[in-house]
Amino acid sequence: MNAIPLVATSPEQEWHLPYKGRIGMYGLIIAESAIFTIFVIAYIYYIGKSLYGPTPQQVLDVPIVNTICLLSSSITIFLSERAIERNNLKTFGLWWAATIALGAIFLIGTGIEWHKLIYHDGLTISTNLFGTTFYSLVGLHATHVVVGLIMLTIVLLFTLTGHVKHEHSERVQVLALYWHFVDAVWVVVFTVVYIVGR
Amino acid sequence: MNEQQKPGSHTETIHLPAPTAWPIVLAFGSTLLFAGLVTSPWISVLGGILMVCGAVGWFRLVLPHEVHEDIPVVVEHIPIETTRREVERIVIPEGDRAHLPVETYPIISGIKGGLAGGVAMIPPALLYGLIAQHSIWYPVNLLGGAGVANWRNPTTADIAAFHWQGLLVANVIHWTACVLVGLLYGAMLPMLPRRPILLGGVIAPVLWTGMLHSVMGVVNPVLDEHIAWGWFLISQVCFGVVAGVVVARQERIRTTQSLPFLMRMGIETPGLVQEHKEDDRK
Amino acid sequence: MADQTLPIHGALDLTPPREREHTLLETLHSWVTTVDHKKLGLMYMMMSIFFLLVGGAEAIFIRIQLAVPNNHFVSPQTFNRLFTMHGTTMVFLVGMPLVFAWANYIVPLQIGARDMAFPRLNAFSFWLTLFGGLFLYYSFIGGPGLYGTGSAPDVTWWAYAPLTLKAFSPGHATDYWALALIVTGFGTIGGGINIIATVISMRCKGMTLMRMPLFSWVMFVDGAFVLIVITPLTASQVMLLIDRYLGGHFFDTQAGGSATVWMHFFWIFGHPEVYVLVFPAFAIASEVIQVFSRKALFGYPAMVAAIIGIAFVSVSVWAHHMFTIGMTSAGNAFFVLSTELVGIPTGIKIFNWLATMWGGKIRFATPMLFAIAFLFQFLCAGLTGIMLSIAPWNWQLHGSYFVIAHFHYILVGAIVFMVFSGIYYWFPKATGRMMSETLGKWHFWLFFIGFHLTFDTMHFVGFEGMPRWIYTYPADRGWQNINLVVSIGGLIQGIAVLIFAYNLISSLFKGKIAGNDPWDAWTLEWATTSPPPVYNFATDPVVRSWRPLWDLKHPENPDWKYD
Repeated sequence: MNAIPLVATSPEQEWHLPYKGRIGMYGLIIAESAIFTIFVIAYIYYIGKSLYGPTPQQVLDVPIVNTICLLSSSITIFLSERAIERNNLKTFGLWWAATIALGAIFLIGTGIEWHKLIYHDGLTISTNLFGTTFYSLVGLHATHVVVGLIMLTIVLLFTLTGHVKHEHSERVQVLALYWHFVDAVWVVVFTVVYIVGR
Repeated sequence: MNEQQKPGSHTETIHLPAPTAWPIVLAFGSTLLFAGLVTSPWISVLGGILMVCGAVGWFRLVLPHEVHEDIPVVVEHIPIETTRREVERIVIPEGDRAHLPVETYPIISGIKGGLAGGVAMIPPALLYGLIAQHSIWYPVNLLGGAGVANWRNPTTADIAAFHWQGLLVANVIHWTACVLVGLLYGAMLPMLPRRPILLGGVIAPVLWTGMLHSVMGVVNPVLDEHIAWGWFLISQVCFGVVAGVVVARQERIRTTQSLPFLMRMGIETPGLVQEHKEDDRK
Repeated sequence: MADQTLPIHGALDLTPPREREHTLLETLHSWVTTVDHKKLGLMYMMMSIFFLLVGGAEAIFIRIQLAVPNNHFVSPQTFNRLFTMHGTTMVFLVGMPLVFAWANYIVPLQIGARDMAFPRLNAFSFWLTLFGGLFLYYSFIGGPGLYGTGSAPDVTWWAYAPLTLKAFSPGHATDYWALALIVTGFGTIGGGINIIATVISMRCKGMTLMRMPLFSWVMFVDGAFVLIVITPLTASQVMLLIDRYLGGHFFDTQAGGSATVWMHFFWIFGHPEVYVLVFPAFAIASEVIQVFSRKALFGYPAMVAAIIGIAFVSVSVWAHHMFTIGMTSAGNAFFVLSTELVGIPTGIKIFNWLATMWGGKIRFATPMLFAIAFLFQFLCAGLTGIMLSIAPWNWQLHGSYFVIAHFHYILVGAIVFMVFSGIYYWFPKATGRMMSETLGKWHFWLFFIGFHLTFDTMHFVGFEGMPRWIYTYPADRGWQNINLVVSIGGLIQGIAVLIFAYNLISSLFKGKIAGNDPWDAWTLEWATTSPPPVYNFATDPVVRSWRPLWDLKHPENPDWKYD
């Protein structure tokens, strides 16, 4: 947003406005942040308010591997952004695929965690207040990861068929912005669910 | 005159996004997806199928390149002119409005004026006590009555007697009020458009006396019975005139109002601050 | 009739050559598939007017029911549905589409753009909003509700928990409410993103942010604002659906959940929402008042600062809707003070509009009449708002007709008045024809009288203790005379709106040809033909001040000399 000219320019000067896709993505991120804020507030408010178990202390394990995977995918996607800016399409594809793999590992990890919670600990969304808030907050984030992965995969398919070129780098960066957002939200969700709430 | 008709700056066709039905398909699909929750799962399935179709169709529109249609341009001469050629400017006479003062009195002048006014109030008040009630303590006790313990509906003789608590409280109330009003005068007088002494010295005391007169019957009817409003007004005007004169005779100092907004905010931005011409345009 | 359209040289010769006649199907196809911001803006507007008539009819039913004591015009169940649907319709299917109607049609023209930033997203957002609205109304014939088959939502437009939980609202009526509003909410998010991207990335050459017309500024702030306003509602409706469908416990007080949390979440959305709805009224007023006062808007930077200030302050005031739930005194004090803080930027706006009119040569055309009425009604609504923001006063009058009167003063007295003003003002641009001034004056005066009959008297029946939502009332409460007056006022407003509808349709076919710039205005939309071509401007305009047309009309006295 820092590209908005705030100082008066004379019409003869070059007229440059920010890329609209980036602005649109910022708008989406603002809206999504508000949604997550409401869910996070609900989670924090309801910490310890469950009338019966299981409680987070009993059943939650800190998903270290998952978190490392998801957060490092932010680095790989940054590397691929830089690659396409330098018109290095092969490197771009490699890092892009690595990002998808890391995201997929995260999803699988979440799936394993949920499987254990449901079948081993007997915690479902309707068990108690903890179940309700946990599955909706983590599930909301996981939904965003799924959507992000679908978009990333489409770009990967286009890359493999050779349709992605240097001139698409701005669009690719907009998508990467979304992925960074998903990662940043995980930091908040992780802190609230696995550190504050446990 | 019209810069939109600069020669050579237009093309014969203009690229615009082509009309498409995919957004409506996607929107309808999304709505059906949700509608299935209250009707039948099959509606959701149909909605999902429509959404996938819509999304794929939409993607194929924008990837790898956006679909455009060329619209032929009809260049017309669009005259931009008005029949109201005359421009009049509103002239605001200097001093026509109350404004934030460029110069004001120092704070000490308000205190001085308040104290002087407070001294000036005392003679008429005491005079009133002597003439009407034959006791200088009568007005003092009216003001400081709250300080005299156990007063329930005092008699006139009671009020006319000397009470040291009454004197003490009356002094505290009197001087605090005088200093506060004096400070108010110091702040207000530079903003009054003209004749500050008349406005601040006479009209303002008359106004607040009138206000007190009208509300005192409701607020404290007992006190109201004991106040002689004519004398009250005389001592208030004494205060107003003396405080006003004392304040007005002090030397003025410049306020920060004459500085630009950014400098008042403490932001040092050389080059950014420029004189904006304040004018009303019609 | 101080109004006159100014003859413009050659205006009549410039109507574009008539295109070949399209068949009905072709026309329909072109509207359904369009991605043009002007057509979408008009469709948003038509949707709003349609639902305004629907919601207005519901209001008339409510008023007939309440006109006399012990009335049984509708059943209690229907009455609940009527006021729930009236509120939901007016806020989500009239007010919100209006925001996007104005933003879509006017903003790209004012900032000299060819279209919105994301034309296809724009179409998608519109269709989501429309289908969401139709989906909501399908509940009348659709799913089973609390009272058997085919019932609309009946839990009031804020749907307080735990009434909305499965145990107390069986059937699907509440689900319709939540699902339909989630759908329109997605449309709203799309629309908001589109506005901010358009304003930031599509401005024509020379139009810096501080050279944007104030209308576009306000719509820009509104577009950004709506993103953080509508999303809490979407989030809490998702929670509600989790409770209802998956057995969650967010608002289930028997499992440790909290109904108060729903109230907080709803009003975190609900209060700023009022500002989202009223911003277009501010935007229109800022254009209409300056053009019809023939004087530049007073205090442009202060107006921009005030609109941003209102947006900021209004997100921290929500719990003034909840003084009666028993907050701590610190909580009460905070929300009292923050609410009263809104009065400062709002006051700046009102004073600046008045200062714009001061010394101007005012033309009392229909748009200006509505704008002047707006100024004073908005002021009154703000004052009753300050009264209600004082917690003890609020405890006394919460849930009474005084509150109803207060917020209808905003929603009708400010928003609807300025919507009419804006339609009279921009109708010539959108259609190329003027609306009838005579009918416009009839419309204004009838609506004005009806409005004051209804909502002024409603304050008093609130003072006398009449609670909102009651189905009927006994004759010995002393409410019946005022209620009759309120209902008569409602009918007069209904008649005025019908006159407006007739004026709209008849002017479309028989109105006076408008020319490009009938009001002698100063913003870019009047620099193209009426109606504008699909590409808006044949060549990209270049501006040097925030009144580009003034600069062209007065080359010896241009604004940019003073910037």
